[in-house]
This record gives sequence, C-alpha cells and structure tokens, in this order.
Amino acid sequence: MLLHAMQTSCITKQGAAAWPIRWTLALLLALGVHSTVARAADKPAPVLSPPQPVEHVPATYPAAAREARKSARVIVLATVAANGEVTAVEVSESAGEPFDSAALSAARRWRFSPARSDGKPIESQVQIPFLFHAPVELAETAPSPSPVLAPPPPVVPANEAPVERATVTEDRATRARPDAASTPSRDNASAEPTRAVAETAASKTSFASTITSKRLPPASRGAADFHVEIGALSAVPRKNASEALKLVPGILLTNDGSEAHADQVFLRGFDAREGQDIEFSVGGVPINESGNLHGNGYSDTHFIVPELIAALRVIEGPFDPRQGNYAVAGSADYELGLSQRGILGKFSAGNFGTLRALLLWGPKGAREGTFAAVELYETAGFGQNRDGRRATVMAQYEGRSAAHLYRITAQAYIASFHSAGVLREDDYRSARLGFFDTYDTRQGADTGRYSLSGLLESRVGSLLVRNQAYAIARPMRLRENFTGFLLDTQEPTQSLHGQRGDLIDLQSMAGTFGARGSAHLSGDIFHQTQEIEVGYFARGDLVTNSQHRVEAATGNPYAVETDLESRLGDIGLYVDFNLRPYRYIALRGGVRADLFTYDVLDKCAVQSVAHPSRENPPGDASCLSQQDFGKYREPIQRSTTTGSAVMPRASLILGPLWGISAAVSYGQGVRSIDPYYITQDAKTPFASAQSIDAGLSFARRLGPIDLSLRSAFFQTRVDRDLIFSQTAGRNLLSNGTTRIGSASAVRVIGGFFDLAANLTYVRATFDDTGLLIPYVPDWVFRFDGSLFGELPWDKLRIRGKAFRGTLAAGFTYVSPRPLPQGERSNPIAVTDLNATLGIWLFDLGIVATNLFDVQYRLGEYNYASDFGSQPFPTLVPMRHFSAGAPRQVLFSLSVQIGGGR
Amino acid sequence: MKRTATWLAPIAGLAVSLGCWAGCGDTTGGARVAFDVAAAGPSDATGGALTFMSPQGYRVTLDRARLYIGALYLNQTVPTSGAQETGCIRPGIYVAQATGSLWVDALSPQQQPFATRGEGIASEAKAGELWLTAGDIQRIDDNTVIVDAAGTAQRGGQSYPFEAQLSIGRNRLIPSMDPAYPGTNPICKQRIVSLIPTDLIPQEGGTLLLRIDPRRWFDTVDFSQVPKVQDSPALYRFSNRNDNPADLSLFNNGIRSRSGPYSFSWQGT
Repeated sequence: MLLHAMQTSCITKQGAAAWPIRWTLALLLALGVHSTVARAADKPAPVLSPPQPVEHVPATYPAAAREARKSARVIVLATVAANGEVTAVEVSESAGEPFDSAALSAARRWRFSPARSDGKPIESQVQIPFLFHAPVELAETAPSPSPVLAPPPPVVPANEAPVERATVTEDRATRARPDAASTPSRDNASAEPTRAVAETAASKTSFASTITSKRLPPASRGAADFHVEIGALSAVPRKNASEALKLVPGILLTNDGSEAHADQVFLRGFDAREGQDIEFSVGGVPINESGNLHGNGYSDTHFIVPELIAALRVIEGPFDPRQGNYAVAGSADYELGLSQRGILGKFSAGNFGTLRALLLWGPKGAREGTFAAVELYETAGFGQNRDGRRATVMAQYEGRSAAHLYRITAQAYIASFHSAGVLREDDYRSARLGFFDTYDTRQGADTGRYSLSGLLESRVGSLLVRNQAYAIARPMRLRENFTGFLLDTQEPTQSLHGQRGDLIDLQSMAGTFGARGSAHLSGDIFHQTQEIEVGYFARGDLVTNSQHRVEAATGNPYAVETDLESRLGDIGLYVDFNLRPYRYIALRGGVRADLFTYDVLDKCAVQSVAHPSRENPPGDASCLSQQDFGKYREPIQRSTTTGSAVMPRASLILGPLWGISAAVSYGQGVRSIDPYYITQDAKTPFASAQSIDAGLSFARRLGPIDLSLRSAFFQTRVDRDLIFSQTAGRNLLSNGTTRIGSASAVRVIGGFFDLAANLTYVRATFDDTGLLIPYVPDWVFRFDGSLFGELPWDKLRIRGKAFRGTLAAGFTYVSPRPLPQGERSNPIAVTDLNATLGIWLFDLGIVATNLFDVQYRLGEYNYASDFGSQPFPTLVPMRHFSAGAPRQVLFSLSVQIGGGR
Repeated sequence: MKRTATWLAPIAGLAVSLGCWAGCGDTTGGARVAFDVAAAGPSDATGGALTFMSPQGYRVTLDRARLYIGALYLNQTVPTSGAQETGCIRPGIYVAQATGSLWVDALSPQQQPFATRGEGIASEAKAGELWLTAGDIQRIDDNTVIVDAAGTAQRGGQSYPFEAQLSIGRNRLIPSMDPAYPGTNPICKQRIVSLIPTDLIPQEGGTLLLRIDPRRWFDTVDFSQVPKVQDSPALYRFSNRNDNPADLSLFNNGIRSRSGPYSFSWQGT
C-alpha cells in the first residue's frame, strides 16, 4: 500500500494536466488568494528512508546470569533523534533482569545515520534485538547483537494500517502539518504514532525501524479547517494561549478585563465574546463554561502555558460532526506537546515590574505528549490597577503499548489580577484621566481552574476506539464597572439613596465532568479508503452563579441581581463519514444530535413586591420573600426544560490535484441557551447558525520550501444572536444576524524561516434592519514570521560551536470597527518582536511587544455611563475605550539541560 | 436560510470582497452628535417686563423671571399619562444632554447659550427633562435659589407686589406617608421637571433651544394666598415651603409643570 500511495503521488505529479492548474491558479489570483496554513495532505507523499546504524555496541552477557547459562532475547525500542543519537530506550520484549539492563545499556551507545523524510533528518524509532547465548564454559561475553536468527516482530501493531500513513511523516518543529483534508487515505482517529515499517538490514545485524510521526487530526472539512503546527512560529511573542489563534484568519482578540479574564474573540464576523460562539477545547477537553453568568460558554485559556501548544486546530464554522455546543462561529482545539526533551528553565524580567519564571520538563525517552510545566508570573502592570500574578502547573503522561495509547493530563491554575476597565473618551480628551488610568480600582478578577483528564485509544482490527473522561473545577470572581453610577434605581420600597455605584461582583463556581468517545472503522472499497466514525459526547455541569452590585463608598454589596444554581446536561451523538468514491473526490460529513437539559434554581426570582407590608417592609432587600401584605412566598423558583438540536454537516472536497484542492462545506451549529433565560417547560430557544464555506487551497513543497495557500468565502446566519450589553454587564439576546466575507492565509516554510499571513474581510449585519453589527471588524490582517538557525559567522564561534539565533515578529492590523451610533473605532496596528541568541545550554532573549509603542485603543465602545467626572450625570452614549498595552520589553535567560533541541 | 442565498454565498462573498476593499460605508445606524444648547424666554417677550392675564383672573406684570437649570436631557421615553415615575434616571435611552448650568432670563427672547455644548445621538427624542439643581440631584440640604421671580399681580383693584425665590431642598422634601414605601419621594423628583413632551432629532451642528414661558408658572397661583411679608411698601413673598397653597401652586403646577412653561425645539441644520 505504501507503494500504491507513492504511485499515486507520482501519478499526481506526472499526470497533472496543465490547463486545470492554470485555471485554478488563475481563480486563486482572481479571488485575491492569500493563504492557508499548510496541511500537507495536499503534498506529495514524502520519501522516507529508515535510520542506518553506524556504530554497533554489543551487549555484555550479564555475570549474574552466567551460572544459569541461559539464552535470552531482548528487543529494545530505541528512539533515534534527528542527529542520529539514541535519545531514549525502552524494553519492547523482555527477558527479565539482568538481560534487560544489559540490552538497554548497549542500545544507548548505538549511533545511527538518522531516518530521513524527503532527505531531511527526522526522529525515528528502531527495534534492536539482542540475543544472549548461553555462555560456553566461562565465556565473558556473547556477541550481541549477533546476527538475528529470525526477524523481530515489527513494532507496528498488526491491526494498524501502516503503509499509507507513511506519507505524512513530519517534523513538527520545522514543518507545517500535512493537510489531512486531501490526504488520499488517512485515519481519522489514528492512535498515534502513525508508523511505517521499513525493514532494513544493517551490517551484521537486522532490525526493524519505525518512523514516528505526530498524531493526525481528523479529516479536514475544507477551506475553513485550519490545522496549525505552531513550529518555528512559537518564537513569535504570545502572551497567552489565545494569541495562538491569530495564526488563523479572521481572529481579533481584545480584553477589557485583565490577564485573568478571558479574551474577547472575534472570528469571521462573530463577536464571540469570551467564547460563547466558539467551541474551545484542549486535547479534547472542553474549555467553554456552560452556565457561566458572565457569558454562557465563557472560555478562559490563560491556564494553558503557551510553550506547550504544539498545534491548534481551528474550524471556522460548524462543519465537523464532532463539533458540539458553542460551535456557532467555529471551534478551536489546542494540542499540547513538548518537542524538546530535558529540562528547560526560563526566567524573564522586564519593565512594569514583570517577572516570569517557567520550568518545562520533557522526560528523556518519553513521548512528546509527556511533559510537565510550571509557570509563575507577576506584573505591576503598565498603568493604574493592572497588577496581577498567576501560577500554572500542567503535567501530562502519554504512554503506549502494542495496541493502546493512553494519556493522563492534570492541570492547576490560579490567578489574581486587577483591571483598569474602560475610560470615557471625553475624560481622557479633557485630561481628567490619563490614557492608562482607571475609574475604579476595585475591578479585577480572581480565577482558577483545576482539571484531570484521561484518554485511552485502543485498536481492534480496523476498529479504533477512543474514550476520554475529564473533570474540571472552575472558580471565578469578576469585578467590573462599565457604567460608574448609573444603574442604581430608587425603588419605592427602598430607603432613600443616591447612586451607590455599579461595580459588578460576579462569582461563579463550576464543576464539569464528562466523557467523549468514538469508534472509527476504516476499510477499502473501490480501491479507496472509506471511513466511518460514530461518537458520543456527554457533559454535566453544576454551576452556581451570583452577581451583586457593590456600593462605592463602603465596598459592601447592596443588591443581589442574580443568584442561580444550574444543573446542566448535554449529551450528543454523531456519525461521520469520510467517503472517497474516487481518488480526487471526498465527501465528508454526517449529522450530530444533542440533547440539552436545564435545571435552574433562581434564588433571587422575586425582586419586587406589589403590596409590601407596612409592618415589615422589605427595605433594601434584593431577593424578596413577601408580597401581598405578608403572604409568604419563597424568593426562589426552579425551572426545568430541555432542548434538542439536530445538525447536519457536510463537506465536498475535490483534489488534491497538483497540490490544489477545492472544497465546499455546509453545516449547522448551536449555542445552548443561557440558564438565565430558562423558564419552566418553555421551548428552549437556541442560537442556531447555518454556515456555508467554499474555498480553494494549495499546498506543495516547491524546492526547499513548503508553500501553502488558502482562500475561502463564507456566509453564516444566526437566528438568535447575543450582543454584549455594558449596562447589563452580560450578553443579551438580539435578533438574527448574517455574516458574509472571505478569509485567506498563506504560509511559507523553509530551512531557516517560517512565514505566515492571513487576511479576512467580513460584513456582519442584522437581518431586520440591515445595519452593521457593532464591534465586528471588517478587515483583520495578521503576519507571523520567524527566522532561525545558526549564525553563519565563524568569528562568532566558541570552541567550534556556532551561536544559534531566532528573530521573530508578529504584526496585527485591524481596520476601524463599526461602533454603535454609526461611528467607527480607531484602527489597530501593533508589532511584536522577539530575538534570541543561544549557545550550548543557554539562550538569551528579548521580547518587545508593541515595538513602536503605539498608543492604541484595544477595545472601543459606545454606551452611556456616568463616572461622576462631570457635575451632572452623563446619560447619553459616549465613546469608551480600554487601553492597549504600551511597549513592553522582557529580557529572558533560558537554560536547557538534557535532551536535545 | 434560503437555498438560493446559501449557494450564492461564494459569489456574493466575492462581490462583497471586491467591492468593499475600502469599506462600504455601512453603518450601525444613528450618529453621535454635538450641538449648541440655548434657553430663552417666550418669543413674544420684549426683554423687559412681561404683562399677561393669568387663568386665575390676575393681571400679572413680571419684572423678573429667572430659572436656574443645572442640566437638561432628552429621552426616547414616550410620556405616558398616569405612569408612575421611578428613579431620578429614567429607563430608556437618553438621546441628548447639556450639563453646563445656566441662569435663564425668562423675560428675554434672546437665546442664552449654555456654558458647554450639548451632545447626544441622532435619534428621536420624545421627552425632555430639566434638572433644577446646582449640584447633587439627591442632596437634601441645599438652599440654592432655583427660581427668582418678581412682579405685581392685580385683581379686583387689589395689587399684590410679589417676589419668589425658590429653592429645592429639605423644604421640598415630601415624607413618605406609607412606611412600606420609604423611597417613594426622593428629592430628585422634586428637582426634575420630567417628561416634557418633545419631538425632535438632534443633529450635528444645530441648536437645541429651550423656551421658557414664565407666564405659565402662574397659571394656578392665587396671589391672595401669598403671605404678605411687608406693609409699606406692600410685598408678598412666596413662602418657599410646601405649607402654602400659593407656593405649592407656583412650585408644583408652575415651575414643575411638564407642559406649558417649557418647550424644546431644534434650530439650524
């Protein structure tokens, strides 16, 4: 089958007619093609060559076994790095001690000419059999590995279809991932690593080698499906995990909270707020917080250590049946991994009292998915009330046996930050406040996240079964004041009072537990691999939320606005087909159905009394228990209801032909309703989105570089959107909306550079009025680039060692965004830079974010507020903004001990 | 979603993309506007004394009529007869505001500009508010004079030289009659002349004009009930308390009347 795959590749190369290519390229240009992240499925199969031993070290017959005069066979699985060194060994077939130890000791000293993919050295694994012959008399040693009498078994499980996967071997550190979208045959849920068996014969020995590759993503859903290998672009400055999203088109991140507050994400014209319209997950574990009062689906990714992001899959639309709740604008799944083995310690210090300490550990010999990380961060902040600190621990163990892959991930994160919130433009213009000042120093956030998850993948014949379970605890407290002194109404039953202050104190505690799994079956029909996957998703959430208003003068809460206890359930089933009737045609899709259950206890359901008792007036109580002259009524109310959704999704993919693929996708997605809006037995209103996406992609290796381009046009309609209200401090329902636009991306990877850029245009309007949806950017452009390698100047060598250097930059441009009242925001253009210089174990780095110290407004809003800055209340909508960070410079020193770079 | 719309999406996307490189000039609707704000007496005033017949049968000659306005606002809220007012700040969207204070000479037809420009949004205003205060709208102990009027009223051969210097503070506080509703009458409600019927749309560069007709302040005032504070020459002075019918008439039915004395209009662009 490997031969077949390679033949296919050759046919593709040789048989590609010129005219369709020209037409396709012309169309690409006509559409203003810009880009895509490479998924090298469009690429021809790489040519693989196995590692070759260049230095054999025989094992010593263990003295402890001499008396027994025993023969034994030990098979050692050795990991061969790209430089040919053996970096890890483990016993694949044991003969027990002391034979195992003797074999391991010898295997560690072997050296190889590394395996190669398209001539490029890559990591691989080999099996080295050691045969221990019973010593004759007092023989000191047995020559081992002596010529193997029988070929050792390959390490690839017999039930793993090995051959075709050999076409996608990649070095994650330097290359974009192959595009599974157009891989002729691939495994949707392949238990990694995918391997190719390449039997070879070394001189005087024989062994089986396996070339490891990373785990493959599910089959692509077309032009809207981006699987981004971070690779060398990890050098581009990113403060948090969210910023990795910028590698895909159409992403804008803002934050009017703090670094302990989820970033607001705009994607393809969706104001996804803090995640309500994007299904976020990390390694398959959901991040969206169902029932969070601040935003149903709130997704704070600050708990992810950016250095651990190995890859990111973003689907800009609901096109994959695996996508579940919140996948309205799309989904984003972070894949964690640490390519470097050993211990990396990194300490950074910079202006504004910023300190960061990071410790990464990748146990030598363990898989990339095995790591541990600790991060400590502290800053005094770049302006008033922006100080904060956080600590993060992430650890993951990933192991593999013959037919199983298992992974356990644990994570803990705590953070406490103050935030400056927003400023009125008129107060800044009149110099009443500085650009980085604040109105209310009590604003901030205290958050945490603790999670534990486990994954087991098992293969039985051609069936791959995957199960994952997780548990998450998520405490959160937010304090925000968008309106100052505006919302405190004087109720007749209350004592006389003035405006006491609008500071919101929101507390949320969520416990999430769930599981997901799938069964994936593949087989050949019509000489093509056909696949089907059936999967489930189950999730339960226990959430308590309350929101108080706090008196400015005393700091005491004076009103309970909301007090909810929610028990939420979501069980989804899906079936997904990957059908390939012909080599260049793939039909992927299926249907997903979800049932949502809601059980909401509103503990502040009664907030007004029509006829209060004169003898026992309610006074200032928020959640009232009396009405009708003392007729008792509990202020609580429970509501239960359910809702279900059936969501068809399909993609038609043509190609790849000479690296070019065309795709059309259609899908429906839903966002479950905020528990705040639940009423007993009322039909649960969903936000339902229908999306269509059509695009072209090109991915191919051209000489020394990998080039990938992608451009897509899309339309999405949402029947019931959520628009954030600064006054309410939360999302409020609005009418239907439609987005239409295009997204494009390009990535070019060479031996010393990695460049990526993307551009998105979108027009987002309300269906009833045709007016633009406020805050959604029309144009977003992003560039990421990294230059890396050893410095070429011989004079700079120390003891023959050359310096290695990295220069990486990121640039973001956001066109003026529409604001309420027909206005436009200011544009945003920010450049970040990172430079490192290293030798031996050490690297020195400097990171400058907002390199040119542009004073910009990260977020701009039009609404009414009154912060008491004028003699009389200011009640009409006014421009507000949250300040973007000024230039921040961080110097870092990192030390790498053990392992390899 | 209509099927045609679905399949035309790529084509439409192309058109949009090509046609909107520099933005299509789309809008979210409305506009924020800045404008001048002025107040004036009735257009038929001469700038001197104003003589008129009140509905109570008095021939009144106003020699002085001044009103202190702290701020004015326009709201989208439609006045509803019988609607119970709630807090000081009304629900609904405020479309215009002028927060620069002004002593208005209500006997002058000339426009008297506020100290600061007004600002708002280009949206229809249905109700106006006058905030008659020199400071905190909720401050109870405030003796700032808000109304300064003087003149002579005559009826049946009786002459009532009068003056009125009204403040709004503890003297206007209405205690709650029902202990179950301690917050029924906040002082701000005494200070705000609210829901003045209005129908205009603020525009950039125009002028929001408030006309004050001081004649209507005295529509229900029976000057014979104004306390006499001086015999020679005679002088009647409004008590500046809620304990006098004439004072209540002037304050509640005149100064705080939502219709009659006050009208908003838009001038200019």
